[in-house]
Amino acid sequence: MRRIRKAAALLAVLSTLRAIPALAQSGPVRSHVEVGLGVLWAGSNPLGTRAATETTASGGTSALFSTTSELAAVAGLEGRVGVRVTKSIALEGQVSYLKPELRVAVSADSEGAAAVTAVDATQQFTIGGRALWYIPGRRWSPRFAPFVMAGSGYLRQLHEQETLVQTGRFYQFGGGFSALLVSRPHFHATGAGVRFDVSALVRSRGVAFDGGSQTSPAAGASAFVRF
Amino acid sequence: MKRLLAAFVVGALTLGQPSPALAYLKYGVSVRGQQVTVRWTQSPVRYFVSNTAVPGVTAVDFQNAVARAFATWQAVPTASITYQLAGVTSASPGSDDGSSVLGFRSRPDLDRVLAQTSFLIDNSTGALIESDIFFNSSFSWSVNAAGETGRFDLESIALHEIGHFSGLGHSALGETEMASGGGRRVLSAEAVMFPIAFTSGSIAGRTLKADDIAGISDLYPDGDFTAADGSLSGRVTKDGQPLFGAHVVAFNPATGSLVGGFTLNAQGQFSILGLSPGPHLVRVEPLDDAETDSFFDSSRVIDLDFRATFFERLVVVPKGGDTGEIAMKVAHK
Repeated sequence: MRRIRKAAALLAVLSTLRAIPALAQSGPVRSHVEVGLGVLWAGSNPLGTRAATETTASGGTSALFSTTSELAAVAGLEGRVGVRVTKSIALEGQVSYLKPELRVAVSADSEGAAAVTAVDATQQFTIGGRALWYIPGRRWSPRFAPFVMAGSGYLRQLHEQETLVQTGRFYQFGGGFSALLVSRPHFHATGAGVRFDVSALVRSRGVAFDGGSQTSPAAGASAFVRF
Repeated sequence: MKRLLAAFVVGALTLGQPSPALAYLKYGVSVRGQQVTVRWTQSPVRYFVSNTAVPGVTAVDFQNAVARAFATWQAVPTASITYQLAGVTSASPGSDDGSSVLGFRSRPDLDRVLAQTSFLIDNSTGALIESDIFFNSSFSWSVNAAGETGRFDLESIALHEIGHFSGLGHSALGETEMASGGGRRVLSAEAVMFPIAFTSGSIAGRTLKADDIAGISDLYPDGDFTAADGSLSGRVTKDGQPLFGAHVVAFNPATGSLVGGFTLNAQGQFSILGLSPGPHLVRVEPLDDAETDSFFDSSRVIDLDFRATFFERLVVVPKGGDTGEIAMKVAHK
C-alpha cells in the first residue's frame, strides 16, 4: 500500500514536470501570470554635435567651441508583470529605473579653455506595455521559449537635483528567450526561470536636444516566477 | 520737483560708462543708496524722428529704417515694451526737452562714434523720461535692403541704439582684433548689443540674438516670461578671492543659444536671466583688455589675468526658477 502511494506521488511529479514546459511553449492554453525582476542595460544615445557660434560681418558663423552630447550607456532595474493570453502570446506591463548621465563634451575652444566633459546625472523612469509572441517550434527544448516582442510606454527623465522634468515616449522592438529552471510547484508558484532579451530602444523627446527620437541597443536579464 | 540726471550712454564704435545692475548689463542709478534699474515706466514709448536727410538716406528712408528697428525689439514675444512714432520734427536729438528724438547730426569730432544714445532719467525712481539717439552724419549711411559697400547699415545701428534707448547696456558676446587703421574690428558677435559695430556694408546686425532677447525680456518681462524661463547664478573666484568683471556665458546645447552676464559685485556673483529651461554649459572668460571701458566704469579694476574655463557640470536651468549658486574657480593665465 505504501509502495503504491509512492508510485502515485512520483507519477504526479513527473506529470507536473512534463506539463509545465509545455505551458511555456505550445501546450495548454491555461493562462498564467509571470512576475520578473532584473537588470536592464540601455546603450548610449548620441544627441548630436553643436557648436557655440557667433555671427560674422558677412552673416556667416564663427565657432567659439564645439560640443558633442550623449545620453550615456547605463544599467538599471526593470520589473514586469505578464499574462499569457493565448498559448503563444503574452502581454506585459513593465517599469524601469535607470540613471543615465547626460554628457556634453566640449572641445576646440577658441580661447584655449581646457576640454571638459560636463555631466548631468539624470534619472529615467519608464512605464509601459509590450506584447510577446512565443515562437512555436518543435526543435526547442521544452524548457526553452524564444520570443519576439514589441512595446511602448511613457518616459520621464529627471535632471540632477530634480530641478527639471522632461517627458517623452519609448518604443522597444526585440526578442529573447526564457528558460524555465524550476517547475516544481511551491507555495502558489508553478515555476521559475530566467529571461534574456535584446532590443532596439527608441526614446522620443525627453532630454533629446532636438526633440526627436534616438535609437540605442538595450538588453535585459531577469529572473521570473510564474503563478 | 523732480531732480533730473542726464546720463550719456554711447553705442557703436565708442566707449561708455554704464552702471552695472544685476544680470547682463542694464543701466542703473543709485536711488537712496539702492541700485535701481533704468527703464521706461510707460508704454508705448513715444519717439520723434527728425526730418534731416543725408546722402543716400532720405527723411522717409530714415523714418522707415528706424521703424523697422523699433518693430524688431517690439516683436520679442517675451518682452512687453512697445514703441510709437509720435511724429516728425525739425528738432535735433540731444536737447533735454522731454521728447525722445532720433536723427542725424554731424559730429566729425567723434571720428569713431557711429551713433550715440543719451538719457534723461528721473533719478528718484530710475524711470526714463527722455532718450535721444543721434546718428553721426560724418559717416556714410545706407538703407539698402542688401547693404551697401562702404556705407553703414542704418537699421543695424538703429537696432543697437534702440537697445540702449530701452535701457540695455553692452554685451560682451563678440570677438575683435586690432584694425590696421587703429581701433578694433569685429570678427564676430552674438549680440546686437556688442559695443563695436560690424564693418560698413554688413547687415548682420539686423537680427536680435538670444542675449538681446534675454536682456529686453528681463527689463520688460511679458506674459509668462518669468514663469516659463529660468535663471542661472553663481560665483567666480580666483585663488579663493572673488572676481569682479568676469564675463560668464551660458550655452544651451539644445538650442545653441548664448546668453552672457558678468560678475558684478564684491562677492564675484553673477546671475543670468531669461534662459530656456534645460541643461546649460557655463563658461567664464576675461573681457578683452581693450574693451573693459565699454562695460564698466574706468575706475573699477577688472581682473583679466585668468584662463577661459568651463564649469565641470552641466547646469540645469529650471522652469521659472534659479539653478542655485554654482561655484566656478579660475586659474591664472
